[in-house]
Order: sequence, then structure tokens, then C-alpha cells
Amino acid sequence: MSAGSFSGGIRLSISDVSANKPFERIIPSGVVTIPLRQDLGGVCNAKVKKGDEVKVGQVIGESATPEGASIHATVSGKVAEVIKAYPHLLGGFVPAVVIESDGKDEWVGLESSADPLTTIQQAGIVDFDIKPVPLVAKLNEAKSRRANALIVNAMDIEPVLSSRSRLLSERVQEVACGIDTIKSIIGAASVYIAVDENAAQAISAIGSACGGAATIVGLNPKYPQAIDLLLVKSILGKEVPCTEAYCVADIGALVLSVETVAAVGRAMAEKKPVVDRFITVTRSNGTGAKNVQVRIGTPIREVLGHCGISVEGMGKVISGGPMMGTAIANTETPVTKEVLGIFVQHEKDITRFDAAVCIKCGLCVEICPVGLMPFIISGFSEKGMYSKAQDNDIFTCIECGCCAYVCPVMIPMVHWIKFGKAQIMAQRSSE
Amino acid sequence: MKAPELVVSATPHIHSGNSVRKMMLSIIIALLPAVGMGCYLYGFAALKVIAISVISAVAWEAIFQKMMGREITVSDLSGAASGLIFAMLLPPTLPWWIIIIGTLLLILLGKEIYGGRGCNPFNGVLVAYVALQLSYPQQMIAWAIPEGDLMTEFPPLQVLRDEGVSSLAMYFTNKDLLLGIPIIGAIGEVSKVALLLGGIFLIIRRTISWYIPASFLLGMVIFSGIFWLSDAEQYASPVFHLLAGGGFLAAFFLATDPTTSPVTKPGMIIYGLLCGVLAMIIRMWSQWIDGAYFAIFIISMLTPLLDKIKPRVYGRVKASVSS
Repeated sequence: MSAGSFSGGIRLSISDVSANKPFERIIPSGVVTIPLRQDLGGVCNAKVKKGDEVKVGQVIGESATPEGASIHATVSGKVAEVIKAYPHLLGGFVPAVVIESDGKDEWVGLESSADPLTTIQQAGIVDFDIKPVPLVAKLNEAKSRRANALIVNAMDIEPVLSSRSRLLSERVQEVACGIDTIKSIIGAASVYIAVDENAAQAISAIGSACGGAATIVGLNPKYPQAIDLLLVKSILGKEVPCTEAYCVADIGALVLSVETVAAVGRAMAEKKPVVDRFITVTRSNGTGAKNVQVRIGTPIREVLGHCGISVEGMGKVISGGPMMGTAIANTETPVTKEVLGIFVQHEKDITRFDAAVCIKCGLCVEICPVGLMPFIISGFSEKGMYSKAQDNDIFTCIECGCCAYVCPVMIPMVHWIKFGKAQIMAQRSSE
Repeated sequence: MKAPELVVSATPHIHSGNSVRKMMLSIIIALLPAVGMGCYLYGFAALKVIAISVISAVAWEAIFQKMMGREITVSDLSGAASGLIFAMLLPPTLPWWIIIIGTLLLILLGKEIYGGRGCNPFNGVLVAYVALQLSYPQQMIAWAIPEGDLMTEFPPLQVLRDEGVSSLAMYFTNKDLLLGIPIIGAIGEVSKVALLLGGIFLIIRRTISWYIPASFLLGMVIFSGIFWLSDAEQYASPVFHLLAGGGFLAAFFLATDPTTSPVTKPGMIIYGLLCGVLAMIIRMWSQWIDGAYFAIFIISMLTPLLDKIKPRVYGRVKASVSS
């Protein structure tokens, strides 16, 4: 099946740098640091203390809520420390467990459970997307709103990443098993798998593995097609009602990353919890692009070392892709469930935005995939006119970055829009 | 190993490389065919006007930016591009001092006095053009005579005004009008082929969108077509109106000025249509023989209003129902 596209969006000039290569496994040799908060579900309680022996897959952080995802040890060895305040990737401090690996890689499996939701919760599965949400919370929400269409998102959010398409072609069985499980949990009538229309190889493999149970949808890899709002529009032809927060389940759809679905398949069939991430590591010109299967908690420094990438000068290391990723301050930051990929820029590759005057060329309006007028919202935010920014739908902005990417005077529009949103939220909470 | 020092900033981390300088360079490149035709027809006189206009525009820009304590931005080429477009509107015989007065008005009243690039309510080139038309009407229609097999010493629209529709076929073939050889007029406006080439180049380079030029020319065709269909004896055909005068130059190079044109697709299309229609109204019933440039000057006053037409926001309709 082919589907419609959306108006706006861009074709990134660096789309082709990601090599669609097989996953290489990285098992950390030394110390791993596992933050006890890796999704939007809240901080987990530490279940281990300094000096404890742990095995791979052992629960070290248990969620305070029944829907939250557990956090597991990803190497076998000894707990070196439980840090109370470790800097979190997205700001703030969370507790973290430091484990010294003994190099033996001994596993404990998941306990069997009759309820697949319990298994998913215990396996620590979240939806591996820009903002990871515990999967059980997402499934419950979909169930309560009677979502009947499951969309498996095997398109990478940003075109320089290739881990999702690669995962689909390498782990077809796990994905198929995961689809079966989720389908029966939410009672979905139809299953779609969204793939890049150029990834023909993956399409044929998954088609035969699912035996026709899922519809393969080949989509034009225009950025940001893989964001759930635009995905449901292209596949189901419906828009999600957006005011401030939106919920894709409102239109009867559940969108899950293919990595999530594969993790469900792995938990059901092999009784293995989430200890690995499947991510693309690349440099801005594409050299050293690799897909890696890396243990959670591995310092990004070690991942870069494996890929032979070093940062020259005052560079940037970005968790995620170049359009929406978060620049990190320190390469000791561990890989967590929030990291969608790693993108490295040398000092000379860094883009410097400017405080220039808008020339009202209209390019940002033309390419905005959600139909906003970015220069107006950004301008109001910059001037502190937040109610005007809200009148112009600042909260509908998905922060995809297309506007700033095309701007001829290089106004940091996403920066101002994020700033405006934060100011509005701060004003509200103080009222 | 020493940990690398890292830069942290907001998204996105890459940029398309688009810049004002690139856009202006595209405009300059797109005008080269028209410049070439102007020089071919009018020789050194045309080249002199172009050189004076470009150099003086850049100089005025630097002088005013210095005086007003702003960063000197002549390297973004916007002054050079404005000077070049302005030269395209002038007759090749124009004295040097009038050109320099024109570029003074272009840069001062059209740009710097409002705060520089992006802040001007009117297209500076048109401010200068209108001022010169009102101040030096005789000099602005002192046409030069190109070499070649000429049937008349006047531009096509003047012939239409003076001698009526019936005589047009005698003087001009459509092919002559399209190529601009040998047609009398301003340096850059006579060769439609050259302007069309430049315009298509700009659309492919995404320096401009097709909405404004297409709707501008469509507005001219529709309005002149209605009158031509009702009385072909009295009104010239839409094809003649397209190919004579400044329609192409106005549609591709003047109406598309980013700062003074609307930002949304519907706004741009309405803007283009209104410009085209007003151009024809001025051409048919005013004292001026061509209204293409005046039309943009007047319609750009509506731009703030046209910018009230917003694109449809994703998920908006349903949200307003539910809330």
C-alpha cells in the first residue's frame, strides 16, 4: 500500500550519509552508569545497594507506579555506587546505579507471567521515540480509547538515522511476535508497518514473515514524515486534534516504534528484558556511520571509540539526530532509553544561528509540516508576547526544526519557540 | 584521555546553507540574460546605466549603514541586486545624476530609514522608480533607438495608446515582442524570453515561489481577456498585454520581493492576482502607459492585511469543535 504525504517538510541535504549497515554489538568492558529515570514515567526506586552482585537482566530500579517501566542491570558484576543526583540527559538530576562489569555476562531471564502487560512492564519496555513513554501506559491509553489501528513505525525519525529500518530487516521474527502480542492486548483490527519506500528489501522480508497480517505502507522519506502526527495523517488520512497536548489514540490509532515492538517480541519469546539499544552512530559527513546494538549505561565515549569517531575542537555530540536531537555536555553520558542515535559534529561543522532580522520570505511558512507561521510565533516569543504566541498555536509546534533549517537569515526559531513554551508553562505554574 | 569540550545549543544542529547572499546572487544570475539583451540592444549606454546604478546603490548602502551606526552588510549583495533590478526599469539614455538620485531614494527611503533589511514596508526599487517617474517624467520616457529593422520609435504600449489596436499587427509580431528584438523600452524589460529564463531559474532554485509570478500574469490575462472578448476592436489581446511592457519583469523580479510580499500561499496568490488586475487597470485607463510597477507599489500596501490569511493549522478544526 502506498499512502499520501503531507504538505511542507524538507529533504535534508545529508540524507544519504547513513549507511544501512548491520548492527555491531557493543558490550561495555568497564563501568556502566544506569540512570533510574529513562522515560516520562517518573523516577524508579533503587533495588540494589553498593556492593551487591548483579546479573544482566536483574531489576535494579522498580517503578513507583504500576504502569512504569522497570530498569535492569545491563552487565553482570558488582554495584560500585548508587548516586543520588546524577545529571539527566534532558536536565535535572536523577539517581543512578553504577555497575562494575566482571566481564562474565551472566543473565537472569524474566519471570513468566500469564498477563502480557505484566511481562511488558517487568521487561522495562518503553516506546522508543523522541519522548519515551512506558509502553504499558501507552497500551492502556490505547485500550481505553478503543484504538483499532496499530501502526508500527519502521521509518527513522531523521533521515540520517537508519537503525529502525535496519532493525526491521534483521529482526523480522521478533517484530512479528511483538505485533501479535500488542494486537491481542489492544484488540486492534488492522496493523500497518510504515517503512521508507526505498527500503524494498525490508518490505519483502517483513511481508512474508507476517503472512499478510500487516499492511506494509511505503512512505516518501521526506523529513519529518516519521513523526506520529504526520504518520497517522498519511496512513489513516486523519489528523489528531491538537490543542496543547495531543493524543494519537483519540483517532483510534496506536503508533509504536519498531524497536518497541521488537522488544515486546523478545520479552515474550525469549524472556529477555530491555538491556540493549539499537542506534545509529554517525558523523555529520557520514564517515564512521554504523548501526550498533549497545548496552544501556555504556558511556557514549565508548560507543564513539568503537566507531572510530573522535570530536575535533569544540565540537558537538548529539543524542538523536541533527534536527531534533539534544546536544550533550559530556561524553561520559550513558546511552539510555532516551537516546535515538548519536550524531557528532566537529568544530568546523557546527551551525551557528544568528540574531538577525526576519526578511519575511515565507520559506518557514511554506515548509512547516503542521501549518504554522513559525516566524510569527518565534518573533512573539522573542519579544516576550506569550499570549500572542499562543494565539498563533505555539503548542501545536512539533519542534521538527524545518523552519530554522531553511531560514536564510538563520533565526534560531526552534530555540525561541521552545523558550516561549517554557515561559508559558512557568507562568501558569506560578499562577 | 582528556574529555572533549563540547558545544551545547538548541535544535536544529544543521542548516540548509540558504542565505540572503545566496538568494541575491541567484537574482543577479537570473537577471544576466536580460542584462545581456539590454546591452545587445542599447550597447554601451545600457552598460553605463547598469554600472552606475549598481555601484551607487552599494555605495549609498555602505554610507547610510555607516552613518546610522549599523553593521555594514554590502557583502550580502542585497544592495547590488536592488541596484541591478532598478537599472532594468530605466531607459538607457537616463543621465547619471538622475540614476544616483534614484539609488539614493532606493537605499534611504526604501530600506535604511526603516531599520535596514527586512524592515521596509515598500520595495525600495519601486519607491525610487515612482519618485523618478513623478520627478523626471520626460527623462524617464526618453527612449533610445536600438539598431535593427524598426517600424516605430515608441514602445509597444505607447503605440497602443496613440494609434489603437488595429495598427499593432502592422508594427509588432508576437515573436518580436517575445524576443525583444528590436523593441523599444527600458533596459531590462524588453526581452520576455530572457526574463522567463531568469524567472524559471529562480523558481528552480527556490529563491522565489511560483505563486506570485503565475498569479500576477494570470491576473493580467484574465482582466485584459474579459475586455478583449467583449470588444476585440477596441482592446488589445491578452497575449499582447503579456508580451508588451513590464509584466514579466514585474511578476518575476519585483512582485516577489520577500519583505514586501505576503508569506502564505493564499496570500501570495491573491496578491499576484490583484497586482495583475491593477496593472491592467492602470495600463488601460490612466495617464501612464504601463502600470505593472505602480500596481505592485500600491498592492504591497495590502501585504499586512493579506498576511492575516493564515495556513490551516494541523488538527485545528476538530480541536475548536471539542473545546
